[in-house]
Amino acid sequence: MLRNYFKIAWRNLLKHKGYSAINIFGLALGMAVTLMIGLWVADELNFNAYYKNKDRIAQVYQTQTYNGEIGTGTAIPRPLEFVLRQEYADNFERIVMASWEQPMTLRVGDKVIGQTGISIQEEAPQMLDLQITQGEQNPLKEQNAVMISQSCAKALFGTEKALGKIINVNDRDDMMVTAVYEDIPKNNSFHSINFFLPWKHYITTAHWLKNAADQWGNNSFQLFVQLKENADLAGVSQAIANIKHNKDANEAQFEPKLFLWPMEKWHLYSRFKNGVPSGGRIENVWLFGIIGTFVLLLACINFMNLSTARSEKRAMEVGIRKTIGSTKNQLVRQFLVESLLVVFFAFALAMGLVLLFLNAFNDLASKAIDFPWSSPVFWVTALVFITLTALISGSYPALYLSAFRPIKVLKGTFKAGKMAALPRKVLVVTQFSVSIALIIGTLIVMSQIEFSKNRPIGYQTEGLIQIPVMSYEFVGKDDFMRQQFLASGAVMEMATSSSPSTDIWSHRSGYNWESKPEEFQEEFAYTEVSYEYVETLGLKVVDGRGFSREFATDSSAILLNEAAVKYMGLKNPVGEIIRQGSEENPTLLRVIGVVEDAVVQSPYEPVKQAIYVFDRYGNASYWNLRLNPDQSAGENLAQIEEVFTRNFPNSPFTYDFVDQEYAQKFDEEERIASLAKVFTVLAILISCLGLFGLASFVAEQRTKEIGVRKVLGASVANLWLLLSKDFVMLVVMAILVASPVAFYLMQQWVQKFSYRTDISLWIFIAAAFGAMSITLITVSFQAIKAAIANPVKSLRNE
Amino acid sequence: MIKITDLEKYYATEEVRTIALNKLSFQVQEGEFVAVMGPSGCGKSTLLNILGLLDDPDGGSFIFNGIEVAGFNERKRADLRKHNIGFVFQSFNLIDELTVFENVELPLIYTGVKPAERKKRVDEVLEKMQIMHRRKHFPQQLSGGQQQRVAVARAVVNNPKLILADEPTGNLDSSNGNEVMDLLTELNEAGTTIIMVTHSEHDAKYSHRIIRMLDGQKVTENVLSEYKSKTLEV
Repeated sequence: MLRNYFKIAWRNLLKHKGYSAINIFGLALGMAVTLMIGLWVADELNFNAYYKNKDRIAQVYQTQTYNGEIGTGTAIPRPLEFVLRQEYADNFERIVMASWEQPMTLRVGDKVIGQTGISIQEEAPQMLDLQITQGEQNPLKEQNAVMISQSCAKALFGTEKALGKIINVNDRDDMMVTAVYEDIPKNNSFHSINFFLPWKHYITTAHWLKNAADQWGNNSFQLFVQLKENADLAGVSQAIANIKHNKDANEAQFEPKLFLWPMEKWHLYSRFKNGVPSGGRIENVWLFGIIGTFVLLLACINFMNLSTARSEKRAMEVGIRKTIGSTKNQLVRQFLVESLLVVFFAFALAMGLVLLFLNAFNDLASKAIDFPWSSPVFWVTALVFITLTALISGSYPALYLSAFRPIKVLKGTFKAGKMAALPRKVLVVTQFSVSIALIIGTLIVMSQIEFSKNRPIGYQTEGLIQIPVMSYEFVGKDDFMRQQFLASGAVMEMATSSSPSTDIWSHRSGYNWESKPEEFQEEFAYTEVSYEYVETLGLKVVDGRGFSREFATDSSAILLNEAAVKYMGLKNPVGEIIRQGSEENPTLLRVIGVVEDAVVQSPYEPVKQAIYVFDRYGNASYWNLRLNPDQSAGENLAQIEEVFTRNFPNSPFTYDFVDQEYAQKFDEEERIASLAKVFTVLAILISCLGLFGLASFVAEQRTKEIGVRKVLGASVANLWLLLSKDFVMLVVMAILVASPVAFYLMQQWVQKFSYRTDISLWIFIAAAFGAMSITLITVSFQAIKAAIANPVKSLRNE
Repeated sequence: MIKITDLEKYYATEEVRTIALNKLSFQVQEGEFVAVMGPSGCGKSTLLNILGLLDDPDGGSFIFNGIEVAGFNERKRADLRKHNIGFVFQSFNLIDELTVFENVELPLIYTGVKPAERKKRVDEVLEKMQIMHRRKHFPQQLSGGQQQRVAVARAVVNNPKLILADEPTGNLDSSNGNEVMDLLTELNEAGTTIIMVTHSEHDAKYSHRIIRMLDGQKVTENVLSEYKSKTLEV
């Protein structure tokens, strides 16, 4: 019986090649999209799968309140470690303090490379279960140790054994390789780290680090923990919440609350709003999951529509089979077998498509997904997926076709009635509603990105590069290097800063001014800069002036941005004295100028109140260089590199173009936009394939009618209108369904940006126009073909 | 074998109710060959559909092999049908996607016959219908006469007690038509009961008895040849 089903299914596929092609290809496209999205979702959900202890690892987070606004962050003060170890040790298997990850130079002989490293306490390798391939199991025990990844070892030592060798870090410290570990795979936290340095060493490298040991207000570190086997994360989280609040009366005013954020949530649930978790990448997982499901649904709808549209052709067979003795169930089974066969072929084709485009997809999504050939989970899922798709797409046609009454079809009086086409119409409307909603959604995402990109950002990112101050060699040479760079002719101006010009690394409070209201808990974005900062970045001074070498007093001067002036409620900001530190013995800072707000953090958020303080102690993290616009970037860079390597032969020349750094702020949204674009195009393509098939059947069905009308004098245009009208109506309905739904959903989406575009009417008009044009093109091909056919032929056929 | 009494069937549309069968009664003995004639719309096809258990009557009684089958549900009808009744249609109604062999095999599949037995029986019947050499062909590759022979082969492969033929020669030329009628006669002589709807007086003469219908009722009944019933009581 089953063989018979397969046989007839196979022959049916062969007999109607065009139809089969549309059906299989459409379904394959849908399945490929779903498969791809499925792989992506699995990849996202499996983030940090490398870590065996991931369900017990957590990071300590902290919330603090400034003026009623609760901020959440990972930076914690150093004394917290001691309290946890002394008073809460029962809960933790491991407590691991860490610095921030940082680019550093590693030198072996003449070879110098820049790599990202972190200073961390010695239990880190066990906590993360790093796979040590050479060396000892406790490699961060000694103060002068360094533990490097295999790829780092390869870059420094080639095929030579790395163990026991000395690496000079940041041109200052000689460290001995005590272990080499297997690289952490891409889809994991700490993946970007190439080497680990001992914490013991880190806290000796600067005075402020030692002092931090009892400063509850110095939130400059990270703290990871591994809970004991049976410890309850929520309970421990609760228990440690008020440590800081209780330990330091001064800090208590900011209402600090500590909590544990489990490793499993780091990646997908990283956003906090006013101290409360508010999602993160998980929203993209949902978004694409839903898109994937919808695209598959579109493909299934095609299958249903094409199968039922062909029903008159299959009706005869159903009639005969029933007459001969087939039951309805047997027929249902037969049609399900057919859909299973089609779905199976479609799946094979979809796998081919996925393999073909996986690399492109990885690029687009910034992923390193491998096809899971050897994963049994994948194959089982695939099997379920095939069966489910076959059931979804095959069930309606199976039930519809098997319900035909044999006498009617065998008598030849069978004509699918008007009502028979209704579900088909509903399905087409559904299909186009989804496609149109996707078009609208994509357009809105794009317009939001465009809107934010076109936002005036207050400084000039083009022609600006930043060189990270990676090595101790650089320190104290700012002015000297400025002279050297200027002399080269490649640089118009140079200034240092304590944060990159596309970010803020520090926020400070503890400032007082004349008109400051009582109880006002101020907090400023804080950057230390050198004299020519305003000129180098191209900031616009709206009041007063920038820092100048001509005024000796500028070493205690500060600049405010416009947001800060407003925030502080200053009427005449220039000349205002701001007191920093304790009221008894404050440092006095004079406001010398106000600059226009510069967008350095999120381009979707309002600019934060910022102060720019003159860098008196050489805290530069970056050198900002304004390139000579009269030379090409290549020439400029060659000259800068020459100057750089002449002065720092032991350091690699690394730099970033600030405009590129700035553009990265849009990466996440642009990635979503490009993926959404691809999926939208595919959704439209699938819908059109279905429409094309459907139009051809309608044209075929109405051949005689068209012939008669033509004989009676209908023009090709009349007939085209006749045949296209119905489809156009369906798309109009889809537009009416999709627009409000898309508007509502996208309205929610743009809410997450403070600086957001208005959803304008033209987007809906464009989507409607686009959908309509595509429909007309698709349908017209068949309509015109039918309309210009010779009526004599069609009439004789009857 | 068949006894119908006051059989009624209506077709209703929104405006009109058409009477297709109007209190029709007759009997058919086992082994009989009955022709049903009448103008278009007289109800003969409706009758055939009811006799073939493809449709159920709106009133009256239909006793098949001693069982009242009027009111049987679809499933029961299908079951009774596949074991007892073979159909031959004017337009052959072969499945285009199946070969001659597979078309004839189909009823055996539905009655659950094992593959080896199926092959034997299909081969036998194809041999008998002299169409064996075409067993691997598809219906479109055959002439009308050959197609109808395949259809007859399919109708008899399950050894049904009853064959219902709906204008079996309607689409055939006279020589092919005569061939098919000879085939049916042979089958009848071998014991199969045949009820045939036809417009052709010529074909009707092959039968034992002609029932003429008009407006859903029987008008006349002529016995052409004396038929000795094996079982007089139904």
